[in-house]
Amino acid sequence: MSLRLLKYAFIEDYAEPRWFNTPATLRDSYDVVIIGAGGHGLACAYYLARDHGITNVAVLERSYLGGGNTGRNTTIIRSNYLTPEGVAFYDASLALFRGLSEELETNIFYSERGHYTLAHNESTLRTARWRAEVNKHLGVDSEVVDADAIGRAVPGIDLSCGGNHAVEGALYHAPGAVARHDAVAWGYARQASRHGAEIHQHIEVTDILVEHGRVTGVVTSRGTLRCGAVLSAVAGFTPGVLAMVGLKSPIEIFPLQACVTEPVKPWLDTIIVSGSLHLYVSQSARGEMVMGASLDPAELHSRRSSFEFVSALADGMLDLFPAMAGLKVNRQWAGMADMTPDFAPVMGTTPVDGFFLDAGWGTWGFKATPISGKTMAATIANGRDDALIGAFNLARFDDFSLVGEKGAASVGH
Amino acid sequence: MKYADFPLLGRRPFTEFSISGVLEPEPAELGEWSAARWVFERSSVPRERVEWWYHGASRLWFRVRRDTGSDVILAIEPARGGPRP
Repeated sequence: MSLRLLKYAFIEDYAEPRWFNTPATLRDSYDVVIIGAGGHGLACAYYLARDHGITNVAVLERSYLGGGNTGRNTTIIRSNYLTPEGVAFYDASLALFRGLSEELETNIFYSERGHYTLAHNESTLRTARWRAEVNKHLGVDSEVVDADAIGRAVPGIDLSCGGNHAVEGALYHAPGAVARHDAVAWGYARQASRHGAEIHQHIEVTDILVEHGRVTGVVTSRGTLRCGAVLSAVAGFTPGVLAMVGLKSPIEIFPLQACVTEPVKPWLDTIIVSGSLHLYVSQSARGEMVMGASLDPAELHSRRSSFEFVSALADGMLDLFPAMAGLKVNRQWAGMADMTPDFAPVMGTTPVDGFFLDAGWGTWGFKATPISGKTMAATIANGRDDALIGAFNLARFDDFSLVGEKGAASVGH
Repeated sequence: MKYADFPLLGRRPFTEFSISGVLEPEPAELGEWSAARWVFERSSVPRERVEWWYHGASRLWFRVRRDTGSDVILAIEPARGGPRP
């Protein structure tokens, strides 16, 4: 609590501004209704106002702000993807992230750590070289390093991996970073609100009204609103929202789990990923070891945690970092990942006029928060897909032009 | 660790199985559907569905009816009569 707040806390005409405004009542109509107050939805509200002057916007959230996958990811930001479409998109996102603390007047604790994707065999190393060459060609700082370089840079790592699957090299991406995910959501909320957008929590959209193939409004738990456009930015709940407008997609929902240990002194200043061991780890600013693994094995619409996850994670983690054996797990949680067959998002216009989709974010959504907001705002304002996201339209599954973004997921799926 | 009672195998942990796809009958008429839609479209909302589960150690396949909202197993049946002699 700030000293200023302590000083003024019980003075009635105290006028400390809130982070975002929530009017007591909803308007009868909005230009744009955004479903989901996560990072993506809030970023879109902000860029709609900043870039396009569209401020008659409501962001409706069934639960609380940033409580979905925005607050459940492991906050890694990188752009060493595999396809030209993916690299261009995520590199633009990384550029926005670098200036985001200033832009949002909110410290998002953006911290460049360097990002190692370990290779434990020759075929993984070959893929790493492929990615490095694609990245370098497209201007992204990315290179293959050998095991000695990893040993010098990463304290405590057992390069023999318990003698079972020795580390032979890695794809190294110097701009790899972490940031505070809550701060990103709250920062966008604050600035969207300052520009006039309304952010309403605990309001559920139960139906979307479509007349003659065009969106005309939404039905909510607080009544019906008219609107000219709807953006669905709901990650793991996307299939349910699509059903409201009679659309289907290839999206399937799988839980993705993560956990943190008790905080310890800073010792790991880089981000380590191993696709072969299905794990990744970084150390948060608070000193916790933030760890994750691959998706759960079957479709599930639930955020339950499982023993199977932490047990398998510990197995691989102790091969890589034996000294972590005594660390205790403090918290464990899950998010619902909206997976696509080609590991690329599903974004942009849809066959329903005025219904826009920002989905298919699977396990790669947080790092795309700024650029997804910016490109979706442009798409909604202009009524056609922004050039950066043309390859990600839902229509790609009708004509078999998939993106094939195998670099999207840090760990194998 | 989650366990269930499997025909022929007895009580086994889920981690011993690979879950590989859903048993969904092909539409009787594909005329209105493009091939792409049949390949890609999913209805990934919470529901009951029948999945193919494969037990690697015994090479047995099972049909498992599961609720994808609650993760509760509702029925398990072997894909064929039983192990070959």
